[in-house]
Amino acid sequence: MLNHRSVILFWQLAILVLLLLVWQWGFEWSKALLPKAYVPKILDPYFVAKPSLIWQSFLRLGCLNDPGEFLTCVQSTDNNLWTATLVTLKNTWWGFLFGSTTGVIVGLVLGRSDFLSGVFGPYIIAFNSIPRIALVPLVILIFGLGDWSKVATAWLVVFFVVFFNTFEGARAVDRDQIAAARLMGAKEFTILRTVVIPSALAWVFASLLPAVSFALIGVIVGEFIGAERGLGKLIIEAEGRANASEMMVAIFIMMFVGILLALVVRSLQSYLLRWQPQFERSE
Amino acid sequence: MTSAPGTSLAVARETKNKVTARKRIAVQGLIKRFNTGRGEFVAVDRVSFEVCQGEFVALLGPSGCGKSTILNMVAGLLPRSDGRILIDDDVVETGRVNPKVGYVFQRDTLFPWRTVEHNIGYGLEIAGMPKAERATRVADAIDKAGLTGFAQSFPRMLSGGMRQRAALMRTLILEPEILLMDEPFGALDTHTKLEMHKTLLDIWERERQTVLFVTHDLGEALTLASRIILLSARPGRLKDDFDVSFPRPRDPVDLRETAEFGRLYSHIWHSLGEEFRRTKAD
Repeated sequence: MLNHRSVILFWQLAILVLLLLVWQWGFEWSKALLPKAYVPKILDPYFVAKPSLIWQSFLRLGCLNDPGEFLTCVQSTDNNLWTATLVTLKNTWWGFLFGSTTGVIVGLVLGRSDFLSGVFGPYIIAFNSIPRIALVPLVILIFGLGDWSKVATAWLVVFFVVFFNTFEGARAVDRDQIAAARLMGAKEFTILRTVVIPSALAWVFASLLPAVSFALIGVIVGEFIGAERGLGKLIIEAEGRANASEMMVAIFIMMFVGILLALVVRSLQSYLLRWQPQFERSE
Repeated sequence: MTSAPGTSLAVARETKNKVTARKRIAVQGLIKRFNTGRGEFVAVDRVSFEVCQGEFVALLGPSGCGKSTILNMVAGLLPRSDGRILIDDDVVETGRVNPKVGYVFQRDTLFPWRTVEHNIGYGLEIAGMPKAERATRVADAIDKAGLTGFAQSFPRMLSGGMRQRAALMRTLILEPEILLMDEPFGALDTHTKLEMHKTLLDIWERERQTVLFVTHDLGEALTLASRIILLSARPGRLKDDFDVSFPRPRDPVDLRETAEFGRLYSHIWHSLGEEFRRTKAD
């Protein structure tokens, strides 16, 4: 009997190798083998670059061509790959953190108060109906081209996602659990701390994973529209030079940034929600 | 026992209990009306009874007769439409918690995000008891509930019976003098139920809290209670009041084999059966 996991791993690697092969040489192979009209344009390295070119661009943008010159190279170029990555990562993280904290706080407050949710409900729905991206130029006008406008953009996207989930979570708390806590002597604040928040946490976390990728999207869009540094800025610069391989470098780095952030949230989630069956440690 | 109508029955009990013990719970002319979309309906209709110190009273009736509603009003969880409820001569106010009163829910209300020990220690924790003292008390309660070795488990890892034992201990650890129980074993299978009866009897026969226990299960009421108050089908009215004077300590399994148990069972069943039929006819 074949080991299930190794079979899956085999196919995963096989597909990866195939993709890389086609990407690297597919265009030349099809040019050599097929009539001109049938050569797929999508494989043209001018549009999609190719692995070897991407690797070279990575080395150049990352100041890795000459290990001895790494420091001087990083210091001399303003938006090199590493500063760009750090800037984007940092802004995403802060935007995510501010957005989710404020979303949780406002969600809990409105979720526990019928009066406040009644008053603010229409405003929140109206504001949420604005496509957030439409606000980015305004945000840049207010906060400038620096990091704060990116944090604010990420905040805009993250806040509502987290707010709505926390709000629902705070509403969905089991009334009997609250009654039980009250009958054991818990006062309002204790109930909030020991029943409402833990109970709503599952809902909060359900929104945090999408929220972290939204934060990254927000930051990148902000960088597209106006920025001095960052991975989004790197893409815009490469677009100006019609350099697909540099864009690809930035895209891949973004992918890793996204994975990294998701992993952080995921591990926090599986610790805080370890009482839920899906996060049970397999022992 | 005869099935005398409400008022004369209450009088009869009063004279009887005057000599025996101090009264802890007094329910007087209790009425509960609910407003539904199709108008108002009466769930509890002029119910009066008293529970004395150390009594184990079962509130028995068909489902929908308002027995849980009565219990919730006694606990102060639900406002009453009319009438009075006194606990130790103080009027029960809705929303105000009486630390002398403990409540066990029908549904599992353990906090799923807390381990067994943190669930059981919840009341002590929010009362601000020092950690060391709390740990001793909790460990003791866990042993008493037969949950040794499960202190670190989360509720979902436990069986239904174990969860309800933990819930019971979570209430009992606060040492309530009066215990209100809302069909606490209603969701358990027969075997687990008998085990829970044994656990509860062991504890109660030692500590003799004043208990008001809501159930629709006559066998359960006879096994546990020292007195059964029978309610009619909706609207809930006081129908009958029986003393259950089986000797203690009781064994929930052996007790069911005795002739007296059978006699009292069929006697009350006759009265209860009428109410079940009325419920069905509705």
